[in-house]
Amino acid sequence: MYVKVNADRCSGCRECELVCSTYHFGVSNPKRSGIRIEKRGLTEDIPRVCVHGNGCRYECISACKFDAIKKDDGGIVRIDHEKCVGCGACARACPLNAIWTFEGKAYKCDLCGGEPRCVKVCSQGALEVVR
Amino acid sequence: MTCWSGKLLYVDLSKGTVKKEDIPEKLYKAYLGGDGFGSYYMNKFVSGDADPLGEENALILAPGLLVGTPIPTAGKTEFFAKSPLTDGWGEGACGGSIGLALKQAGYDVLIVKGKSEKPCYLFIDNDDVEIRDASHLWGRSTRETEEEIKKEENDCSVACIGIGGENLVRYAIISSDDRQAGRGGLGAVMGSKKFKAIAVRGDNDIKMRDPERVLELTFEWYEKMVNSQAFKDDGQYGTGEFLEWMNRERGTFPTRNWREGVFDQRQKIDPYYWAPRYSVKNKACPQCVKPCGKLFVIEKGKYRGTKLDGVEYETLFSLGGNCGNPDIESVAKANELCDLYGIDTISTGGCIGFAMDLYENGILTKDDTDGIDLRFGNPDAVVEMVERIARREGIGDILAEGVKRAAERIGKGAERYAVHVRGMEPPAYDVRGIKGMGLAFMTSPRGACHLRSGAYALELVGKFWKYEGVDRLSAKNKGQEIADMENFMAIYDALGVCKFSRGLFLLEGFHDILLATTGMDYSEDDLLKIGERICNLKHLFNLKCGWKREDVKLPPKIRIPIPDGPSKGSYISEEEEREMLDDYFRARGWTRDGRIPDKKLRELGIEEFAK
Repeated sequence: MYVKVNADRCSGCRECELVCSTYHFGVSNPKRSGIRIEKRGLTEDIPRVCVHGNGCRYECISACKFDAIKKDDGGIVRIDHEKCVGCGACARACPLNAIWTFEGKAYKCDLCGGEPRCVKVCSQGALEVVR
Repeated sequence: MTCWSGKLLYVDLSKGTVKKEDIPEKLYKAYLGGDGFGSYYMNKFVSGDADPLGEENALILAPGLLVGTPIPTAGKTEFFAKSPLTDGWGEGACGGSIGLALKQAGYDVLIVKGKSEKPCYLFIDNDDVEIRDASHLWGRSTRETEEEIKKEENDCSVACIGIGGENLVRYAIISSDDRQAGRGGLGAVMGSKKFKAIAVRGDNDIKMRDPERVLELTFEWYEKMVNSQAFKDDGQYGTGEFLEWMNRERGTFPTRNWREGVFDQRQKIDPYYWAPRYSVKNKACPQCVKPCGKLFVIEKGKYRGTKLDGVEYETLFSLGGNCGNPDIESVAKANELCDLYGIDTISTGGCIGFAMDLYENGILTKDDTDGIDLRFGNPDAVVEMVERIARREGIGDILAEGVKRAAERIGKGAERYAVHVRGMEPPAYDVRGIKGMGLAFMTSPRGACHLRSGAYALELVGKFWKYEGVDRLSAKNKGQEIADMENFMAIYDALGVCKFSRGLFLLEGFHDILLATTGMDYSEDDLLKIGERICNLKHLFNLKCGWKREDVKLPPKIRIPIPDGPSKGSYISEEEEREMLDDYFRARGWTRDGRIPDKKLRELGIEEFAK
């Protein structure tokens, strides 16, 4: 399962970022979000979110020297914030630019236990769940 | 404390100093944020006799209280200053990301006073605040400025001016993410301070009292929004969706500088025509799940390469119908130039339509216009005039002053064609057939404005909130209605919620949202009291600036009956104008000449500002 992006439909509202961080950390902060909208001027709004191996080779897992990123039994790639030192190697390795670091920790999508909250508030169909 | 940072940032460009102050909790309780803080700090920091383009004027920024929470459409940041267009209260709301960044940087209010000698910009990186040289940015467009700063500093939000603000066009805008704080010339205030831009990087968490409940409410409001008719209409066609209805069913679409209320060539500028051809995708303000913005792209022809977020309803009027301009590519190009140069599309179109009217009536000739054929409906002339105004070249230099001052300069009876209230060119509601809006144009603290009351929908449809059976063609009983709507809308501006959500978020909705985000337990009456306090403070500021009842009047064109269409024959008489104002002042508890009695000031707890 993963969140599929239809970038040409994204309106750039970034509601997904605020909902994601609030759901996971109880605070609103796009920098802690597991999804980010990359804005390129007026014309492009590109959602960046992990595909959990559906279109990548788990480069982040290979890049992590601290054993902080793992694929769980359900196929979800997760970051262990206890182990993460925020070196950013995973972010640099990710071919989809779907990981980033903030205040010494890496952040990425964990699919919200099977019901991604970002998709729930995407009114434009830019995000969809693929099972 | 949740949902707010408790800090104010004060910058003096003359001295080059930066100061941080605490905002007492009681101010949040009395004013919420955004518009509330604007009304409070404008009265505190700007004197009535301040020169709008002088160093004593302040530019104030305040994100709405709910900005940064996931509550849908709460992404508005308010800008304030004494207006160089009206010489009174000035404000503009903007849907850019600057407010979220400012809040995350730890400030709920930013106040910038003084004047820099050289072009400068302010860089705020959380606790670190720096005034930087902006010589390399001066003369650049809003988009270039934003891109350039983002190259220097990654991960920041920018609000800036274009050459319109630099050239002190009295209706210059402030731009953030190609969204504009549009009205009243706040961009010129920045220009007068040699203040090109504000760039903010903010990292702080926005805390909420009950995040789980906030998410529940977010999903609940999201569902309501996406299932509304407005979601479908705005999503496909943007804010111009009701243009045909305004013409055909109401006849209140001001056309050719308010000669007519129906634009005969409207089909050519109707989004039902242009959206399928030019609109590439939807664009939204921060936190908005109901996007009304459209990425409009012209791919071939003379205006190839034009790209903008638009065209909005008001601009379809101002640069379209008001200039008799039936060429959507010309409207879009002129709109793009307004955005890049940083001038208000409503006032710009108001000024061009005014000049066209003068030209057709022989008051201006080709000698005055450098040979430009300023006939109504000349699409090239509209685009060319935007250039002239922003650069202050030729006739553009006079029009950059706004229609009121331009009419005084031109003379020869030009004032009969100048459509403005207290100096501000009005938006796209022909108030001859929407009489309550005529009153709202007069009572809005920033001059002819549709958004302080937001009552156009109520007037045009006849019902909203607690009002039913409202007759748009009657001038009776409009005082309480407009005062109520102004109080109500002030809450939207204090919370930073987009007014296009009205009808979804009524006051009872705000109660739960405020409780979950901040813990404040406010009844509908409590909120309306705050709205009333804000409205009174804005009026108080205008009184200090020399506001007089006799200056508040509708333009001469409003006395001429609408010649055709569904509102044919309707106009607002002098008597109706007087009665509506009397009625409004009564509803407000003000005196007949519009002063606020001490008793009212005390009741609202704002007597400290009455000196």
